[in-house]
Amino acid sequence: MKNLKFIILTVIIAFVAFLSCERDDICSDDTSTTSRLFIQFYNSANTENVKNAFKLRIQGVGNEEVLSDYNIVTANSIYLPLKTTETSTQFVLHKDYVLNDDGTTEGNADTITINYATELEYVSKACGYKTVFENVTISVEDDGDKWIDYILSATDNEPISNEDEAHFNLYH
Amino acid sequence: MLFCVSVNAQNDSIAKAKKDSIKHIQKYGLRVGGDLSKLIRTAFEDDYKGFEIMADFRLSKRLYLAGELGTEEKTLGNDYLNATASGSYFKAGVDYNSYTNWFGMHNMIYGGLRVGASTFSQTRNSFSVYEQNQYWEPHFSSTDAEKFSGLTALWAELIIGIKAEILPNLFIGINAQLKSIFSQDQPDNFENLYVPGYNRTYDGSNFGVGYSYNISYLIPLFKKG
Repeated sequence: MKNLKFIILTVIIAFVAFLSCERDDICSDDTSTTSRLFIQFYNSANTENVKNAFKLRIQGVGNEEVLSDYNIVTANSIYLPLKTTETSTQFVLHKDYVLNDDGTTEGNADTITINYATELEYVSKACGYKTVFENVTISVEDDGDKWIDYILSATDNEPISNEDEAHFNLYH
Repeated sequence: MLFCVSVNAQNDSIAKAKKDSIKHIQKYGLRVGGDLSKLIRTAFEDDYKGFEIMADFRLSKRLYLAGELGTEEKTLGNDYLNATASGSYFKAGVDYNSYTNWFGMHNMIYGGLRVGASTFSQTRNSFSVYEQNQYWEPHFSSTDAEKFSGLTALWAELIIGIKAEILPNLFIGINAQLKSIFSQDQPDNFENLYVPGYNRTYDGSNFGVGYSYNISYLIPLFKKG
């Protein structure tokens, strides 16, 4: 009977230990969740060549914050987060951006409009659902002084569900 | 060990006066009971309702036919996902008692095998889209519940446990269950987070775990040597 009591105690302790360290489901960074729109910049005079845009500043229309990775940078590719609550997102791509002391800005700002349909796709317990963007089109607002010549799909309009390869090419 | 030997010696001397010295007359019968832990959790956990009855029938000195029948409802969730599983299950198999009792005792330290089956529904209560990028807030979310009914699951189970007789014919027990699911219906564009009887499921693993604190009563039907 002494033996049995000892075993009961051991088992109870094992249970308590087990319950207190139940595995947490944490969504790992490696998991493909909602993708950003990946745009590669090319030279419109020589469409094979990647071309940098200098002093590039990107801000979403309707958002008071500058897009954090693109606050006056040199870039030949950009990743734009899209709104998952709407089917359209607008960004201002401002090239050669300079903020003067008097508050005025220099450079060339172009507004692009991205239209799409959203589809929900189950990922995992920890990550829940992600949004897949389908039928994505991009238009550049003609302000009479565009630095962006045109933007073309690089994927035959496939749904956007990862960031492995460029989804669109921007020629300037 | 020493004590044990001396008791056996005593038994021998008494038994000689009667009939067979080696055979112990043992009780056989149907033992029925319920899972206390599920009742306690139902009382104290807001997101859980469960009930389980169990029975075993002694086949031989060490072997028991055993089974459980129950219902469970459990809501699981994190920041991005919340779902409720609800359904009933049964498990059937055998228990093998590895404990050698002294005369007149009926305790068990046992290992068991079960096959479990569950029919259940999975309701996705709410979810929001996961996005590492927080530039546009908030992300898409939905609180329109969607119910996936008529799901089934099948699993195998390994049990280790003990049952101790605390009063004549009244037993308390505790066991741990290691389970492996081998067939389940997954809801469309979703996943079973919890299967009644099986417990919660894990990403990238077919294994699950469970436990039971139980109380049961032996209805003695006959005695056998």
